[in-house]
Amino acid sequence: MDRKRDYYEDVQIFTSGTIVFWSGVLILLLSIFPFIAKNYYVYVANFMAINVIVVVGLNILVGYTGQISMGHAGFFAIGAYGTIALMTHAHFPFLLALPCAGLVAALLGFLLGLPALRLEGPYLAIATLGFGITATQIIGKIKMFGERQGLHAPDLTIGSWHIETDKDFYFILIPITFFLVLVARNIIKTKVGRAFISIRDADIAASTMGVNLTLYKTLAFAVSAFYAGVGGGLYAFVLRFIEPELFSMFMSVMFLTMVVVGGLGSIMGSVAGACLLGFLDLQLRNILEIPYVGDWIRALSESYFTLTGVSNIQLIVFGLILIIIMLFEPLGIFGIWIRFKKYWMTWPF
Amino acid sequence: MVDFLQMVLSGIAVGSSYALMGLGMVLIYKASEVPNFVQGEMALLPVFIAFMLLSTYNIPYYIAFPATLIFAFILGCFLEFAILRRAKEPNILGLIIITIGMEMMLLGFVSWKFGADQRAMPFPISTYDSIIIGDVFISSLDLLTLVVALVIMLTLFLFFRFSRMGVAMKATQMNENAAALMGIKTKQIRMVTWGISAVVGCVAGLLAAPVLVEPYMMWGPMLKGFAGAVVGGMTSLPGAVFGAYIVGIVEHLFGGYISIEFKSVVAFAIIVIVLCIKPSGLFARHYVKKV
Amino acid sequence: MKKYLVYVLTFMTVVVLGLAFNAAAEEGITDTEIHIGQWGPQTGPAAPWGAVARGTDAYFKMINEEGGIHGRKLVHHYFDDGYNPAKTMGGVKQLQEDIGMFAWVSGVGTAPGLAVKDYLMDRKIPWIGPSAGSRHWIEPPNKYLFNTYPLYLGDAQLLCKYAVETLGFKNIAIAYQNDDYGKQGLEGAQKQLAKSGLKLVAEIPVNVADVDMKPHIMKFRNSEAEAVLLFVGPGHVARLQGTGKAMQFEPQWMTSTTCGDIPLMMAITKGGYAGTILASFGMMDPTAVGIGNIEDVNASTHPVLKKYHEEAFKKFAAKEERWGLTFAAGMGYVEPMIEALKNCGRDLTREKLVAEMEKIKDFQGIMGKVSFAPFKANDPSCRIGQTTVFLAQATADAKAKVLTDWVKTEYIPMGK
Repeated sequence: MDRKRDYYEDVQIFTSGTIVFWSGVLILLLSIFPFIAKNYYVYVANFMAINVIVVVGLNILVGYTGQISMGHAGFFAIGAYGTIALMTHAHFPFLLALPCAGLVAALLGFLLGLPALRLEGPYLAIATLGFGITATQIIGKIKMFGERQGLHAPDLTIGSWHIETDKDFYFILIPITFFLVLVARNIIKTKVGRAFISIRDADIAASTMGVNLTLYKTLAFAVSAFYAGVGGGLYAFVLRFIEPELFSMFMSVMFLTMVVVGGLGSIMGSVAGACLLGFLDLQLRNILEIPYVGDWIRALSESYFTLTGVSNIQLIVFGLILIIIMLFEPLGIFGIWIRFKKYWMTWPF
Repeated sequence: MVDFLQMVLSGIAVGSSYALMGLGMVLIYKASEVPNFVQGEMALLPVFIAFMLLSTYNIPYYIAFPATLIFAFILGCFLEFAILRRAKEPNILGLIIITIGMEMMLLGFVSWKFGADQRAMPFPISTYDSIIIGDVFISSLDLLTLVVALVIMLTLFLFFRFSRMGVAMKATQMNENAAALMGIKTKQIRMVTWGISAVVGCVAGLLAAPVLVEPYMMWGPMLKGFAGAVVGGMTSLPGAVFGAYIVGIVEHLFGGYISIEFKSVVAFAIIVIVLCIKPSGLFARHYVKKV
Repeated sequence: MKKYLVYVLTFMTVVVLGLAFNAAAEEGITDTEIHIGQWGPQTGPAAPWGAVARGTDAYFKMINEEGGIHGRKLVHHYFDDGYNPAKTMGGVKQLQEDIGMFAWVSGVGTAPGLAVKDYLMDRKIPWIGPSAGSRHWIEPPNKYLFNTYPLYLGDAQLLCKYAVETLGFKNIAIAYQNDDYGKQGLEGAQKQLAKSGLKLVAEIPVNVADVDMKPHIMKFRNSEAEAVLLFVGPGHVARLQGTGKAMQFEPQWMTSTTCGDIPLMMAITKGGYAGTILASFGMMDPTAVGIGNIEDVNASTHPVLKKYHEEAFKKFAAKEERWGLTFAAGMGYVEPMIEALKNCGRDLTREKLVAEMEKIKDFQGIMGKVSFAPFKANDPSCRIGQTTVFLAQATADAKAKVLTDWVKTEYIPMGK
């Protein structure tokens, strides 16, 4: 049912009227959301949106080009620090500083892509992981970046609009997210995107077909680093305070997890994975507040475990969710969606 | 010169514990083709069990340690059997995420059960004793770690060379289908490999525990072990050991002569350099991909 | 397969919905309740400091049992942030905006605190007793932020002064954690030694993730340090002292207030901590004990602390909770606020609390003397709280030998 019959069908943005309709509904819902939800949930939504940007970018590298990166927190940090530094020291306006910081991250992504040309699998994983750890170590030594004591984000003004609350920032963040997701979707449908996919599927075959491996592999790194950098720049203004320890290895692992749980090689899967895991990451601490469940966990802790360590149930639930999704469907949430759709469309057969 | 010797010796000492973690990771990588992020926590839980046996129930060492190793073996087998094997049409990234999920669950479980306080595990030999050769020191615990690591490496070597099980494991790793056709129960073999890997990791954990027991204690050794294994080539057991020692020694020389602050990240710089020259590590045969 | 799908989706939906709709709507202060918020890591590598929040919790329960404050009970909301500023910010926003906190207390760590500082201060919400001795809390001073933890700078000054003047050491070195805490200890030590014309013979950073301490000890040994200041966490103290002993390097170890839990330190170092000189901010009164005398921290003679042990810890703490410095500190940080709340009377507002806090002079609970002064925008001393610390030495049987009385330390402004 999802077969494509001609080229134009493949490159069009909306494949059917249904999608146009639901996209409209989504945009409408997103624009009224901050007016009906509590401010805290707007903050959560901002966080999820940033995760979406980074994860969509990372999926271009991991899901479409078949390279692993466990060091994206490094690019994220470079974007965050770069944006603040450009704004405070070079007096760039925010909307210019953000892509510039993204470009700096992209440049570093390109450089990291060079050794990555020869590596794959666990070798690439550990090399990128090393990059992520080293990047934050180096940032922690730079005086301009506040060393280990962290850095506060400057006041944010766009034109005459002074951005103070989460709600204000939401209206900047969501359009940027939409734009970047759309760009990612379109990159995949260009010559470049097809080159990425061909590298993932068979790099040697791709190179014999005339795909320049050096160019496209480093390009994939650069593009995904750009996304991470832009995400980092926005993150700095959601949190308004950054310090090197924030951008830990755990954060890189989290991004990778979101990509895989969302679904490799699916932009919409990445959006879903970033939203779900980002939400859980912030919200799981409230698990003990859920009626009945919380009491039951507390009682269990008192008899068999420790009450002082009961918060660690978050980790267990998070791990469990990861395992269940991955065991059930190697393509993650996207895979589950496909299955669901098939089931729906072929019902009752 | 004394300093240099001391650094090298300290590097070898710390390399031994990296080597044990690295060996565990390589065993699993060869069996299941996944970088095993749960390696550290597979050692963590048994260490806490040992801690509980020794300090809460006052069980003597000669019972508690073997019991812990057996527990580690069962834990390793269980993780493979109950979780990893259930993955349908797995891809490598999916498997990595599953090991990360298991890691979180075990870490959460340990912290939930035992709390977050730091502790020290009772141990037959004091952590404060040391042996002095000339002007160079090596602590008894480090020496013990070194000896134990060598014994385990030798045992593994003999095991893969001469025992039926070991040969079957090697066969399974080389070509699973062919091995299965020869009547080897490859699934069972893979499960046992996980068990052995957990035991090797657990030994590293038990040797780290006398200094300090805390839920996050195995992260560092696990990463360094992984780094060492990658330098060595991820599919070669002697390579993992050699790589771990390189990481340990370079770390110490770097910390001693250049910068202590960047000591812990230098391991990763070595990796990038080594891998640029030999993309599949020092010891693994480079696999040339064909279309 | 379809069955699995249904299970998985149901499970996820329950979790997600359960998490989304659990907020209750209440006022920050009612006729019968005062809502107080707090964050602290219960998970993650910093989880040992989670005892601070649990200590505060037990303390509040004790006060409620005694009848509360002018007929109002304290309602304590504390949440786990895993020492991750992003989560701290999320939790603070949620509690503040959904339930509405009257004030915030304690809160472990410099980074999480710095992330939410502006948020709280912009909304004029009092925040009392951050659980970190950072200069950032009082420079610049904020009207609504009251520090009670003696600054790390002061610990380092007193330790250096003692090492130089009393013990007569010339070669002093420092191991500092590579973050705000360690850097401030380093600065305090440098400034103090400069007064005697000395310099640190070795300044060795320790990364939080470092496990292997041999290179650090080698540097110390080569510097021939007679005393080594340890501005690191308890785990690293254990590792450094253990490695030092094994390498036969045994200087006079000196630790900051952060590692002053003698029973814990003795347990994790297996006795290696004995003889260590530590700076301390309370849990005993050196004036009452007397210089040179020995105090058993577990069977304290401090009347207030004894009461807390009996009335708060034994009644309200979880059964596996350890009675230690961290737990008790959770009570100590908020004592001045309770005092101020009591002085406020029945008619309670935030401004009134601030006014009463400012009136606190030489208040002493289980920590040192705490004083505040009316707010002046360029005078950090009006919000510094406790400026005194004392030194003690760990004995071989895990008790504390008092070395000095309370000593007032000098405040070093930023960038001077």
